[in-house]
Amino acid sequence: MKTLRSLAISLAVLVFIIAWVFPILWSVLNSFKTEQDILAYPPKFFFEPTLAAYREVLFGSQSILPNVWSSFVISIGTTVLTMILAIPAAYALARLRVPGKRGAGFYILATQMLPPVGIIIPYFLVLRNIGWMDTYQGIIIIYLSFSLPFAIWLMVSYFEDIPFEMEEAAAVDGAGRLTTLWRIIIPQVKGGIAVTVVFVFLNAWNEFLFAVVLSGNTVRPVTIAMFNFVSVEQTLWAQLAAVSVIAMLPVVVLGVIAQQHIVKGLTVGAVKGGGRR
Amino acid sequence: MTARGHVKVEKVAKLHGQVAALKGVDFDIRPGEFFALLGPSGSGKSTTLRLLAGLDKPTRGRILFDGKDVTALDAQHRDVAMVFQSYALYPHMTVRQNIAFPLEMAKTPKTEMAERVEDAARKVSIQHLLDRRPGQLSGGQQQRCALARAIVRRSGLFLLDEPLSNLDAKLRLETRAELKKLQRSLGVTAVYVTHDQEEALTLADRMAVFMEGEIRQIGSPAEVFARPNSIDIAGFIGSPPMNLMKARLDNGTPVLAGRPLPLRVKQQAGEIVVGVRPSAITIGEEGMPARVDLVENLGDNAIFDLSFDGGLVRARGPDPLAFAEGQQVAISFDAKDIHLFDAASGHRLEAA
Amino acid sequence: MPVAGPNIAGEPDALPGLTGHDRISARREKRFATALLAPAFLALIATTTFPLLFLIWISTQRMDLAMPFMDGFAGVDNYRQLLADPRFWRSLVLSLVYTVSTVVLQVVIGLALALLLMKMKRGQTLFRIIAILPVVLSPAIVGMVWRSFMLTPEFGVIDYLAISAGLGSQNWLGDPTMAMISVIVIHTWQWTPFAFMVLLASLAALPDEIYEAARIDRAGAWQRFIRITLPLLRPAIVMVIIMRTMVALTAFAAIYVVTAGGPGTATEILNLYAYRKSFTELSLGYGSALAVALLIVTLLISAVLFLMRRERAA
Repeated sequence: MKTLRSLAISLAVLVFIIAWVFPILWSVLNSFKTEQDILAYPPKFFFEPTLAAYREVLFGSQSILPNVWSSFVISIGTTVLTMILAIPAAYALARLRVPGKRGAGFYILATQMLPPVGIIIPYFLVLRNIGWMDTYQGIIIIYLSFSLPFAIWLMVSYFEDIPFEMEEAAAVDGAGRLTTLWRIIIPQVKGGIAVTVVFVFLNAWNEFLFAVVLSGNTVRPVTIAMFNFVSVEQTLWAQLAAVSVIAMLPVVVLGVIAQQHIVKGLTVGAVKGGGRR
Repeated sequence: MTARGHVKVEKVAKLHGQVAALKGVDFDIRPGEFFALLGPSGSGKSTTLRLLAGLDKPTRGRILFDGKDVTALDAQHRDVAMVFQSYALYPHMTVRQNIAFPLEMAKTPKTEMAERVEDAARKVSIQHLLDRRPGQLSGGQQQRCALARAIVRRSGLFLLDEPLSNLDAKLRLETRAELKKLQRSLGVTAVYVTHDQEEALTLADRMAVFMEGEIRQIGSPAEVFARPNSIDIAGFIGSPPMNLMKARLDNGTPVLAGRPLPLRVKQQAGEIVVGVRPSAITIGEEGMPARVDLVENLGDNAIFDLSFDGGLVRARGPDPLAFAEGQQVAISFDAKDIHLFDAASGHRLEAA
Repeated sequence: MPVAGPNIAGEPDALPGLTGHDRISARREKRFATALLAPAFLALIATTTFPLLFLIWISTQRMDLAMPFMDGFAGVDNYRQLLADPRFWRSLVLSLVYTVSTVVLQVVIGLALALLLMKMKRGQTLFRIIAILPVVLSPAIVGMVWRSFMLTPEFGVIDYLAISAGLGSQNWLGDPTMAMISVIVIHTWQWTPFAFMVLLASLAALPDEIYEAARIDRAGAWQRFIRITLPLLRPAIVMVIIMRTMVALTAFAAIYVVTAGGPGTATEILNLYAYRKSFTELSLGYGSALAVALLIVTLLISAVLFLMRRERAA
């Protein structure tokens, strides 16, 4: 009975691993194959690995390096702007006596009910009119619509963990409000800021709907650029796999680094909006 | 320079919406005095301390430091030192940086700062811990670090918010004595908030007893202990608390359990309460009948719970084995140890 | 809770000694807070509230980028058209099917895995890392990987498995029903680890003593699950349901990449319909009305879910 149960558990665990790891692993394997190896039937698990696809994707005529750059500019720009706006706001919501604080919190939540498609239609018209289509500022500003509420909520939860005596002690010690915020409070939420930065970066890197509508020849993140390798006439399978792996790399690295905090980030973010892409 | 650290509080009240946390208090603290604010939680003592620190502002009234009106000043401009109950050490700074922080805010020159930090640390014997972070210190060391951060200011006024309550019992006794010595040697005024009447009695030069947002009595610990001015204070100060027994007046003589007591008051008749401290009660053969219900053996003395006149009376006696549970005894007490209160108003009645 | 004295609360404030310093400092704190909040709130208003109002305005217009000469005020015409539009109703049904099936699958599989792995003493970190992988990936990339390397006929791995199992090669994304099932599976694949992680964390937070007490009270494993685990886990489960529902209703990238709503309109959930109407067919006015409809559906469903949560909590 006991052994039967542990056998069942092991089996389920194995299925779980295979089901969730395989698609990713398979993409990685394919990215090291030649076109023929990918198209082989039955699928080949053992083959002679080659870097040809990566060479082509990175340094070939259709190099995606500009697109990787584009993705980084968008994600870093969004992250920096979001944090500059979110940290002071979160501090005020978490710590200060503001009338209508609950209303403000509810407003932030409510903004997340609006489906992204409902945001992009009006923004498309606005950006087209002011000539901001295919610009970094256009896409970064609209990314605030999902990154900012998420970052505020996550940061509020970190600010709330700090005892109130911190501000009081600093005040008695002669520090003004801004000095207190900068010297006493911010250093204590460094960890929270790091986690928030990771999540905002992830969400910006992964965003797709806004990018599809707003991107062009200048601003063209990897998630959009991968379609370069898929066309009606032919699909460049190996290169597509290589691009997918390159696009996965930064977020997987960040995700693994932040894995301890990921549940908190996901729950705060998703209740309050961030998990939407 | 005249002595610094004179505090005057005039008609200070604090309302939170319609709820009064403090209903208007007046008191004076003399320079160099150790002044305790004593009271149960929610009595207004902490509110008063926060108002003195400038962390909150009063709804009404004035606060003066050395004759200067500071009511409108924020905490950062008041130049008072404060030790918080939780110590409120900055966890991301070393002990040295913690202590230096108030000096840094006052833009003290670097060399002077280093000297004063060392000096403050030496006064509380933590000079060997200066490069640690608060998280690496024991509770007692953290408390000293908080003290050093207060000392380094050389402020004339120290505010202490239950600074001993997070220490274990043994350390609390040691620190209590040290705190008093430190305050004397620095010559500063200390305002000390506590709910522990024993702490107030041992530390304070004078104390204010807070209840329900008001000061009920101000005086030296000895005065308050010897002549509590109301039933509430009599019941709050002393451990175990004073026995309070219902009685009535007959022609100005209190009658307890059918027996007249050997003293008189001006008032002729009415319901009164007789108070006697447990240590003032003698258990023996003579006196009023009582029965031993429970003996709390404290080692070198004992507290006896007695049934008396349909109620509970507690007496402190030197010998835990003198009386057994269930034994019939008699209790007596001296006239000088009797406190009389008016049952209706709770006020103290003076013996004529 | 301090009690107001009878003579204090009612005291007129014009008494001598009134300083009101507390109100002055409260005002100062309010000003500081406002200064900190204002930039973020202006940004939020500009990126969410303004678009919402503009969206509603657009939905009352005839606005067609392909036929700009027809543009003009349309009143509720778009909404009238919408109510009579079978493609709208079909997309709404698809949205509900997609949402309900993916959410149920995520919660059931996620809970089952969490319960299984709870018992594992070693290797939980490995699982957490594995579970994080799909969750942090872009749905667009996930869609691309599935579409290309898993579901392509002949050399896709799933198709290979189907052939090996004797089911023959399937047109996974070409057949209407199969396409819908495929996009549901892909969404479930990506997000079940999320439900798993949240539920595992909640399970781990339940105190052991409760289970020990229940065992002393002679509750069997099944009874412990039904009577203790589920009720204690209910808040977490409801939270997962709410979060996943909101995301499923506005799922876009994976479906767009895998089927683009096709074949035909077989996987065109309401969100995709609004997008296609606006940016493929360029009818921004009608597309906006569809987006507003999606907003209303989202609000209705979340209202029901939040009510459910409150009722259970009470």
